[in-house]
This record gives sequence, C-alpha cells and structure tokens, in this order.
Amino acid sequence: MQYCEPIYFLIFLPLVMLFYHFTSQKHRWKVLLISSYIFFFSISHYLLIYLLLSTFSIHHIGLWLSSLQKERDLLVKEVERKQRKEIKKQYQKKQRFILAGAVVLHVGLLAVLKYAGFFGTNVNVLLNMLHIPFQMPVYSFMIPIGISFYTLQAVSYMTDVYRGAILADQNLGRLALFMSFFPQIMEGPICRYSQTAMSLYEGQPFNYQSVKFGVQRIAFGLMKKIIIADRLNILIKLIFDDYMKYDGGIIAFSAICYTCQLYMEFSGTIDVVIGSAEIFGVQMPENFRQPFFSKSISEFWTRWHITLGTWFKDYIYYPLSLSHPLRRLTAFGRKHLGNYYGPLLAGTIALFCVWFCNGIWHGSAWSYIFFGLYHFSFILLGNLFQPLIHKLPIHREHWLYKGFQIIRTSIIVCIGELFFRANSLTDGIAMFKKIVNDFTLDSLTNGQIFQMGLDKHDFLIIAIMVLIIFFISIARERGVHIREYISQKNIVVRWTIYYAVIFMIIVFGAYGVGYIPVDPIYAGF
Amino acid sequence: MDQLLEILEGLQPDVDYENCKDLIDGHYLDSLMILSLIAELEDEFDIIIPTVEIIPENLNSMESMWKMIVRLQEED
Repeated sequence: MQYCEPIYFLIFLPLVMLFYHFTSQKHRWKVLLISSYIFFFSISHYLLIYLLLSTFSIHHIGLWLSSLQKERDLLVKEVERKQRKEIKKQYQKKQRFILAGAVVLHVGLLAVLKYAGFFGTNVNVLLNMLHIPFQMPVYSFMIPIGISFYTLQAVSYMTDVYRGAILADQNLGRLALFMSFFPQIMEGPICRYSQTAMSLYEGQPFNYQSVKFGVQRIAFGLMKKIIIADRLNILIKLIFDDYMKYDGGIIAFSAICYTCQLYMEFSGTIDVVIGSAEIFGVQMPENFRQPFFSKSISEFWTRWHITLGTWFKDYIYYPLSLSHPLRRLTAFGRKHLGNYYGPLLAGTIALFCVWFCNGIWHGSAWSYIFFGLYHFSFILLGNLFQPLIHKLPIHREHWLYKGFQIIRTSIIVCIGELFFRANSLTDGIAMFKKIVNDFTLDSLTNGQIFQMGLDKHDFLIIAIMVLIIFFISIARERGVHIREYISQKNIVVRWTIYYAVIFMIIVFGAYGVGYIPVDPIYAGF
Repeated sequence: MDQLLEILEGLQPDVDYENCKDLIDGHYLDSLMILSLIAELEDEFDIIIPTVEIIPENLNSMESMWKMIVRLQEED
C-alpha cells in the first residue's frame, strides 16, 4: 500500500476515518495506533518488531533520563551554589553517557540494516586492491519501511528529553503513535515530539474545515504525483538505464525531467501525508517552501526537505560546531580572522559532517555520498565568497540579478539530481561528461524525444500542469494561500474548481497501459 | 541591551534590530553568524549558551535574545 494508490486514499484512509469518528474521543488514539501498525505490517510484515523495539527503548531511555533529572533537581535544591555546579556536572555526565549509548544503539541498528552490504562490498574491493587474500562476508538484511525516518524521530525525542526541552512521556501508547503514525511513516515529514505527539493523542473530533482542507491537500498531491511524476517515469527510466545511446542534450533534458519528477513525487506525497493528518486535526510541519525560487544552494536546503535540514542543523550542526574543541577553534579564528571568517573553519567541519550524513542517509551508495558532498562544496564556496560578492557593485535587489541567481541555483540542483538518480556514481560521471562533451539540441528538435515513451500530448499535459504548479508557487511566495482564497469564493466557483481537479486526475493521470507509476522515491531511503 | 545591539551590528549591520522580529526565520542571520553571535554573547555576558537554547524563539529578536541572556545569567 502506498499513499498515492487508490487502496490508500479510497479504502484505507476512509475506513480509518470511519472507525475514528465512531470511537469515543478518549480511545481515538488507539484507532490511529492500530491503523498505523496495520499499515506498517501490510508493507513490512514482521519487521514491525524493529519499530516496536525502538519505541520500547526510547520510552525506557526517556524515563531513565527523566528520573536522573528529577534526582538532580532535588539534590541541587539542598546545597550551596558552589556544590550545585558540581552536582549538575556529575548528572550531565551520567545523562550524556546514557544518551550516547542509546543513540549508538538506534543509529547502529540503522547502519547495520542499511549499510552492512555496502560496507562489506567496499572493504572487499579494498582488500582486493591491496592483494590481501581475505574476503569479508557481505550481509544484506530486510529493511523495515521508514526506518530512516523513525530513527531520526527517536533520536530527536531522546535528545530533547536529555536537553530538558521536553518532558519524558510516561504514556507508552502516545509515544508509540508519535513514532508510527501511518501517514508519515514512509516518507516523513520528520516530526519532533513537541510538534505532533499531543495532538495525535487528543483524538480531536472531525471538523468540517480540517476535513475539507485535508481532502483538498490530498487531491493537490495526487495531481502532482499521478499526472506529472508518474507520466515522466517512462522517459526517465529509459534514458537513465541506457544513457550511452543518447546525446548530451537528451541527458541534460532527462536531468531536468528527473528533478521535476522528484519534486512532484516527493512534495505530492507530502501533500497527501499532511492532508491525511489534517483530516484528524493534526498539523504536521511543512517539508517544502517553493524550493525552485531559491537564490543559493544554502537557501535551497531551507526550502527542500525542510524537516531533514532542520534535524541535521539541530542535532548535528550546532552540537558539533558548539562542542568544546570547535568552540576553541572559533575563538581562535575570530581573534585572527575576524567575525566572518573566524567561525568559518569550525562551521565548515560541522557542515562537512552534516552533508556526509545527509548523503549517506539517502542510501548506501557512493552516488549518494557524492550528492551530499556536491551540495557541501557549493555551500562552502558560497560561504567563502559571500563577503567578496557583497563588495561587488551589483544591485542585488534587481529582478534580473535575482533571476540569474534562481536559474544558477536550479542548474546546480539539476546536475546534483542527475548524480542522485544515476544507477551508480560511474554512470553519473559518464552522463555528466556526455552533457559537457556531446551537447547538442538535435534530438530535442528533430522529434526523437517524442519516440521515447511520451508523445506530444504527454509533454503538453506535463507543461500545462507544471505551469499551474508554478503559478500556485508564485502566489504562495507572495503570501497568497490558494485554498483559503478558493474557500472564500461562492459555491459554484468552489465546486467547479474541485471537479476540475478530480477530472484532471482521472482523465490526465498517467495510469494504465503504457505507463509505469514511479515508486515512492523517498520511501526507499 | 546596548551591548547586544553593538554585537549584532558588528555581525550584520544592514538590519533594523530594534524592529526586526524574524532574524532567524527571515534568514537575516545565517548559521555562521549565529556561531559568531553565540561566541560573542558568551564572552560578553559571561554565560554558557547550551545547544538547546539555539532555537528561533530565542534568537528571532533582540528582546528574545536579551530575555535568554538574563535567564541564563540567573540560572548560573
């Protein structure tokens, strides 16, 4: 079962809504929890045990940390100021030890399940290169769905309890629901306990406005996924699987198409996820904010997969760059290099770790590590040259300059996505070389492009839909919320729009003979 | 507050700190500036700012920064 399949939005979701509605408010969270486990079980079967183990363990660790904090607070009250610091230090050490162990356990399990095969294969290649007559056994494991997402949620929960930002939850059921809520388990968004746990547990009654907005959001997501992302799949698969046959122009075009597909698939699925949660009165954090209006790569990552970016910032970037050794480095740098370049070295070390983790989080392949470090390089270049660029006599607020920045960022993103989608890093490099050395627009102008699974009508539908999404994005960028705008219109206009969207999904959706729907891309991570 | 204003203007002079309420959410201060800011605040006000305090609610305006500084001084 996937979010954009009829079995989810026409059968599973309405059934859960029905049970939820006819259950008393006190027990509604149980309906959501049971539904979430059924959803998980339908995809990963007995691998549900991993999710259960994670949930039990973070519940226990949270309570353990909490009991230490209570013990510390009691002791601190009874002593003089001097001793307070010592007691706090001792307890922080204990807590840090527990947290570190728990994080190693959770991340270690993810690493073993996800990267054991990659690690073993690469060690064997290295041993071969060094002519050492030994081969490591290469293990591969079945991976439960959403492990990359719920592990990050588990780590954030335990860290937030350790930091005192939240109180440990005594209620195992509430924590279990926070970890497993079915709309988000496959592709995120990565939520914090403080964002969703309470509202999930409250079991709010259906509210007409929330259900209406939720259903609208689901329809909008389906439109992006079924009409655009699924339609582009056949062309992208053909070119990426057999790129040697095509010239650089076609490959560049396929990189643009893939970037478009990834955005429509991922943001479309997130629309379905957020819409599903909204139906139950749960507000999830947004994961996208018009990323293709970004003027730099660093801005792009504050608009694309936002919850992953903020997770890395809060749990890797700041803790690392504010650790004792890097604080000392920053102090030294500021003394000798000033306020801008001073913290750059410490910031860059932390940034490198963030982007390495970002790359490997996406999958166990060199192409993903390259993808992470590719973005790291552009952010670093931006940081290095920012003071110089600010000194240039350029009118930075001029629309032409902004347009140039947006196009430049989009090109960098498309090249990054080419490596991301390529079947291997070697293929990615070969495809990029073709763009540089064998670029021609011939295949795009002589009609060859229309013989690759998609005809003129398909491209026309894609172009119209992309334009619609583009205009909606411009409106959002200017602070206009389309659904609120539509809801203010009279009933005839409103329902004409609703029917038009449903009609478009049914008529222009890329399903049936001749189309291959794209698998949920981020669910694979 | 004057010391704080001086620090902020030293980091990024092109912002109206007295009225701006979204220094982080509006991307007026980037992550490198935040690292500098934290170091300066720790030196100037003799406090230690734990990572948990580096959230937009504490850094979005001069007032919220000042509140955080006073709170950390009292907690010490």
